[in-house]
Amino acid sequence: MRRLSLGSRLALLFAACTAVVSLIAGVLFSRASETHFIELDQQLLTSKLPVLRQLLAGVDNRAALDARLPALQAELRHQPDLALRISSHEGQPWFDSHPNLPATPAGSGISTLHSDGTDYRSFNTKLTPDNASSAQLTLLLDITHHQHFLQRMQHLIWLTVGLSALATALLGAWAARSGLRPLRRMSEVASSVSARSLTTRLPRAQMPIELAELAQAFNAMLGRLDDAFQRLSAFSADIAHELRTPLSNLLTHTQVTLTRPRTLEEYREALHSNLEELQWMAQLVNDMLYLAKADHGLLVPNREPLALDEETDALLEFFTPLAEDAQVRMRRTGQAQLAGDRNMLRRALSNLLDNALRFTPADGEVNVGMRTTEGQIQLSVENSGEGIDPALLPRLFDRFYRADPARREGSSEHAGLGLAITQSIVRAHGGSIRCESDGGWTRFVIELPVGG
Amino acid sequence: MKLLIVEDQPKTGHYLRQGLSEAGFNAELVADGTTGQHLALTGDYALLILDVMLPGRDGWQILQAVRSAGLEMPVLFLTARDAVHDRVHGLELGADDYLVKPFAFSELLARVRGLLRRGSSPPQESALSLGDLRLDLIRRRAERNGQRIDLTAKEFALLELLLRRQGEVLPKSLIASQVWDMNFDSDTNVIEVAIRRLRLKLDDNHDNKLIHTVRGMGYVLEERCD
Repeated sequence: MRRLSLGSRLALLFAACTAVVSLIAGVLFSRASETHFIELDQQLLTSKLPVLRQLLAGVDNRAALDARLPALQAELRHQPDLALRISSHEGQPWFDSHPNLPATPAGSGISTLHSDGTDYRSFNTKLTPDNASSAQLTLLLDITHHQHFLQRMQHLIWLTVGLSALATALLGAWAARSGLRPLRRMSEVASSVSARSLTTRLPRAQMPIELAELAQAFNAMLGRLDDAFQRLSAFSADIAHELRTPLSNLLTHTQVTLTRPRTLEEYREALHSNLEELQWMAQLVNDMLYLAKADHGLLVPNREPLALDEETDALLEFFTPLAEDAQVRMRRTGQAQLAGDRNMLRRALSNLLDNALRFTPADGEVNVGMRTTEGQIQLSVENSGEGIDPALLPRLFDRFYRADPARREGSSEHAGLGLAITQSIVRAHGGSIRCESDGGWTRFVIELPVGG
Repeated sequence: MKLLIVEDQPKTGHYLRQGLSEAGFNAELVADGTTGQHLALTGDYALLILDVMLPGRDGWQILQAVRSAGLEMPVLFLTARDAVHDRVHGLELGADDYLVKPFAFSELLARVRGLLRRGSSPPQESALSLGDLRLDLIRRRAERNGQRIDLTAKEFALLELLLRRQGEVLPKSLIASQVWDMNFDSDTNVIEVAIRRLRLKLDDNHDNKLIHTVRGMGYVLEERCD
């Protein structure tokens, strides 16, 4: 079945409603007028009865009737559309005032008859009430013109129904069209959306209430798309940028090495240097794959019961050489148990500790604290030292972001993905991480549900 | 020791074979799964290195065929995809280890040696030594040229690892895993610092240096005559 447009649907529904309403009204009106005519006719016919009964009083056979006929006919001439039939109580016709009168039903009361293009209202009654053998009087009123009027009116009703349905269909189509204009506007905006123009938004203020919610949802979707797209393209640009330096080092170094014969030692040196660049790139690619997995929800932590304090102590022991080298004291306070992935959580914490150690001045401190409240573990890694500009805090977890622009390319170790990876791991465990910095302390706070 | 490499990427396969051959293994390379499976079942190898995606039969199928034929040699998987279910699948089927590309050759070599050593029970030595370096495993003491060296527990463990696998280049990730039980990718330079501190205690006053850095690959403990 072909799908109708919303506009046509509405127009057809309008037309059908109007047709039904006007049809009902028309039918009621024509019934009412017909009933009214019948009442009028009955009144007219009954009003004639007393005169006729008076004229025909005592008539009980045909002969008696003939004597009264002249007076009767004179009386009947006053009203040309009224006909009279008189018959015996057995139904034997005695007198017809007009020729070609239709056969009349036997019972008494009012009925409508049709004969030879003429309509009659007939009224049966006894000449003498309460006398079983009394002659029958049948009054017949020619109501052809009434019926014509009724028929014309019925035609008119049908015409009105048809015309009003047509008119409402047309008006409805127009109304639907203008009523649905915001929807069309919406679809125009939707179809104009492309990777290039995710900034277009629907004007919510101008939308009708019914569509405002949809518009809001649509705008929110565009917002998310835009955000994801921006991040993706920034990420791609960052990847290209990050890989460019080691790649150009590799290219240059290899080409320069190959320009003329060199000693074995020089070749070895060149290969070692290339190897370092390559390893850095491999690490970068692995980290990015890890983040991509996290983005796709493929980072599924293994849930094993862990003592977070023991894990922290193991990590602190691991970092001891670095800390002693940097003359930084490390300390753990508190205890916590949770179900989580040992290697992932160790990796997350190790990034934080590594980060903390890098930014703690000599003779500084790194403290790891943890406590459990209401099924929620709060773990903080704080280090003393120059704080981080509050404006930069929200960006710390961005990929490739480095708070200190001075530590950059060439320092072959940190690509600026550590905190992003930590965040991904914490999120994969259903937790959150934030950074705060004040009073000479920088603090990373992780909140994790105990259940993991 | 005879190893079989089933790897369909010619360059990777070639370098793997070269590297393993030069490390003293008798490495054979085939590029498709069907031949690979045939050889694995008939060739009496000490270890298999299988790529997951292969023409003919994939790595999983070869592993299944090998295990259902009752062969117990260790199997190391190489894969370009680090999907969790891949790893789980491989371990369920009886794989022994798993490396995700890109990996460092030194890492592969260390794992291969580890797997081959696993079967044989570790020798119950009471002491390890190299040149004038002696490690008393029972009394947890290290001395060089008769002079006692004070080591922390982790330094001792690190030196023990280097000594047990002397002559092998040990990548940082392996050291972190074996000494500190840290089994994750990390770009921290803890290992560098730990090695530097150990070297300070071990080699500083001696002309004959024992700990050597192989740039971009890792560390090796050996006597060099130059």
